Amino acid sequence: MLTDWFPVLAPAARGEVTLGRRQLYILPTRHGWWFAAVLLVLLLAAINYGNGLGYALTFLLAALAVVSMLYTHRNLLRLRLSQGACEPAFAGDSAVFSVCLTNDAPVPRLNVCVVRDKTVVACVDIAPGESRRVDLAVPTKTRGLIAAPEFMVSTRFPFGILYSWSRRVAFAQPCLVYPRPAPNATLAAAAAETYSTDQRAQRDGDDFAGVREFRPGDSPRHIDWRAVARGQGWHTKQFGGGQFSAMFDWEMLAGLPPEERLSILCRWILDAAGTEMQYGLRLPGVEIPPGHGEAHQHHCLSALALFPTA
Amino acid sequence: MKPSLDTTTLRWLLVAGAVVVVPHALVLPPWTLCIFLAAAGWAYLIGRYHVYHPGRVLRTVLALAVIAGIYRHYGTVLGRDPGLALLVSLLGLKFLEVRDQRDASLLLFLYYLVLLGSFLYEQSLWLGAYALLATVINSAALIQLNQPRSLILSQQLKLAGTMVAKALPVMLVMYLFFPRIQGTLWGVPVDAYSGLTGIPEVMRPGSINHLSESSDIAFRVYFDAAPPAATALYWRARVLWETDGSAWRRGGVQALAPQSFEPLGDPIGYRVILEPSNKPWLVALDLPATVPEGARVAPGYVLEHPTPVRERHEYRMRSYVRYDTGALTNAERAYAVQLPAVGARVRDLVERWQQQAREPADVVRAALQHFRDEQFVYTLQPPLLGADPVDEFLFETRRGFCEHYAAAFVTLMRVAGIPSRVVVGYQGGEFNATGGYLVVRQSEAHAWAEVWLPARGWVRTDPTAAVAPERIELGIDAVRRLTARGMALGNLPASQLANALALGGWLPRTWLHTRQYWDYVNISWYRYITDYTPQRQQRVLAVLGLERFSWTSILLLASAIVGALLLAYGVLLLRPMRREDPVQRLYRRFCRKFSRAGLARAPHEGALVFTERVLRARPELRTTIEPVTRRYVRLRYGRAAVSADELRRLRRDIAAVRL
Repeated sequence: MLTDWFPVLAPAARGEVTLGRRQLYILPTRHGWWFAAVLLVLLLAAINYGNGLGYALTFLLAALAVVSMLYTHRNLLRLRLSQGACEPAFAGDSAVFSVCLTNDAPVPRLNVCVVRDKTVVACVDIAPGESRRVDLAVPTKTRGLIAAPEFMVSTRFPFGILYSWSRRVAFAQPCLVYPRPAPNATLAAAAAETYSTDQRAQRDGDDFAGVREFRPGDSPRHIDWRAVARGQGWHTKQFGGGQFSAMFDWEMLAGLPPEERLSILCRWILDAAGTEMQYGLRLPGVEIPPGHGEAHQHHCLSALALFPTA
Repeated sequence: MKPSLDTTTLRWLLVAGAVVVVPHALVLPPWTLCIFLAAAGWAYLIGRYHVYHPGRVLRTVLALAVIAGIYRHYGTVLGRDPGLALLVSLLGLKFLEVRDQRDASLLLFLYYLVLLGSFLYEQSLWLGAYALLATVINSAALIQLNQPRSLILSQQLKLAGTMVAKALPVMLVMYLFFPRIQGTLWGVPVDAYSGLTGIPEVMRPGSINHLSESSDIAFRVYFDAAPPAATALYWRARVLWETDGSAWRRGGVQALAPQSFEPLGDPIGYRVILEPSNKPWLVALDLPATVPEGARVAPGYVLEHPTPVRERHEYRMRSYVRYDTGALTNAERAYAVQLPAVGARVRDLVERWQQQAREPADVVRAALQHFRDEQFVYTLQPPLLGADPVDEFLFETRRGFCEHYAAAFVTLMRVAGIPSRVVVGYQGGEFNATGGYLVVRQSEAHAWAEVWLPARGWVRTDPTAAVAPERIELGIDAVRRLTARGMALGNLPASQLANALALGGWLPRTWLHTRQYWDYVNISWYRYITDYTPQRQQRVLAVLGLERFSWTSILLLASAIVGALLLAYGVLLLRPMRREDPVQRLYRRFCRKFSRAGLARAPHEGALVFTERVLRARPELRTTIEPVTRRYVRLRYGRAAVSADELRRLRRDIAAVRL
């Protein structure tokens, strides 16, 4: 389409754009051309039969088509598009960007479609004063920041004979993509290292009271990681109390390719976050002291996501 | 391949289809309508209950059968009637294969062809109104097709209605200014013109009488000045010269050259709108001095049209009610005295008059006096007459309608050797004050006589006026009402007449006025819709002062008007209209304060989340911020209506927040 060469609208940091006249285009659809063909037939018949009502009908329909142009245009004019929050994704999953379509006008906007890469993502009706959210899922391959996708809004309302669309919009706010977590099996050697070499791996509270078979429902923080790493199966350590604090270190995984290291660190963080364990992260140039909670996890995973590539 | 339209859309499609087919119901062969309805019903059952869906082969077979059926019925598949029958039945079959939105849209567009088809049969005001309704329904169906969710039926109809209403003025401009073309692009099929009434070509006793019951309009007349008196309103259609004693015909006089006449007095200018009569003549006031375009004047000062008038025909005329036709040629005289053998009683009667007369005019007077003095009765129900109707009428029944009197009178004159002829046409008319025109109905059909007198030329002589002057002075309608009351015509005292003819009460008066208004609406409809010819368009342009402009400038002007209309609609429809909640507006003001302090609310942040974040950054503001948030959330999301008092408090609280 011609407008593909127009520069993409990049809304300011506020992450909001209101569609103005200059951002909207309109052209007849294929149905519109059919309609025009029918009008031509009607006009020829009216002329041939000298039929006054025939002329009137033809002109009424032509006028209706022209009036419908205003309605189609109005359906998008001053539609407010804003960027919603984007939940971070893991590489390989889809990052979901959400777009809020807000109708500030006192009339409903009907059948407004969000289009990405010439594919209709969703069509929504927006009541006066309301907002509707449309999610744009973008598949991810690698960690890091992924830019918000370009999209446009379009409509064929009310008669389907005219198609109005906006310039492409791309919001500034990117979405964070965490590294792909390594599968469980790769914990193997590294995990053993953690516990044998890391001085900060401490044990608080009561004495070690022995191990028993892992049973579903056991708190993961009591898993005997060393035994798991040795391939001796899953065992649960039993204590009188206290907490572990682990420091996941980039250096622990020396010898592995960097992306694989990040994947394994990601897996450890996820696993550790599933327990009540305190954990920290050390990367070259980055040190996050042990902590716990959702914000802490996000902090650690972001560090992994944004770790500069070699 | 199953139809994938939802039931609501399908229902819209079927209803809109039925609406456009209804005007054809009485014209198309019933079986095509049956096919349309059956296919529509079947399509609905498929959509609703998933009954058997015909495959491609069966559908093709059905379509071929329909084409064959139409060929059998009409002997062709081309032309108006077979074409429309084909269109309607194939549209029905198309229902069975509507799969998606594209098919449905096309179907809705094709409905307009069916609608236009019904205009080829009739262009009445009713049909126009109906077509407008059908357009609204069709548009609503199109809206349903393109917006299948949020709108309910009434909203769809309202939106469609609003859009059509906005389109009407634009249509009007295009309609008035789009250049009309004379003639056709391809041949218009000549279908039968039946059911047209009008005065007959051959006059026999009873042949005009049967029109007296018809209230169909024969023609309307717009006079340039005040209309002449009722007694002067003689509308000529045809002059009959030749008789076999019973029937009166035009005869061989056609071969003669038409004569001119010397006008006396002032001319009367007028325009006639003739209803279709299927007869090759035009009516004109006695005597026409001009000949409309395309017509010619025939002997007897009547206007002939090269083809039967099958559509409303409008023409301008000028007539003189006083005239001198001068001398009579020998050939004309021969036609004007031709007479078969007449009975001895008739001869005796005429001879008696001739003995007392000094000149032909005396014989004419004596004959009229005879009708007046003897027991002749003017009646709308004359008795049937036998083989020699004139003799029987004059001496036995003595009850007749205008054609009896005219025929008898001319026969008497010819027996006396006075050149004479029968004229048929209309007499009188009802003046429509609303529209300022005269309506002449078929019931006003009339026959009278003309005699040629040496001093004056042809002189109109109406024997009916001698018997029943009320017919001429008050019109046929008054005669009908008088005879309905059992009153004898001829010499009723004026007071008695006035009494009898007074429109009793408001109801008949209202009825008369309503009828006149309605006729005015109808004729205006005709003038600007049915008969908006290039000539009429020129007249409209002249009224607007545009007659000297070229088509290019007129079209430019029309485009400018359409553009201005659209601009007005654009301003109306597209102006920014923020219907913002006052609570929302106040809260925005609150947010702007934080925005200036570098704590802008993110679009996805709700009020509570935003407050939490602000309080983390500026814990000291808790006492001023929290009341605002609490009140805002309650007013915005609570059930209770927002009172002015609450709004004032919110404003005060927001004002109290200082960063």
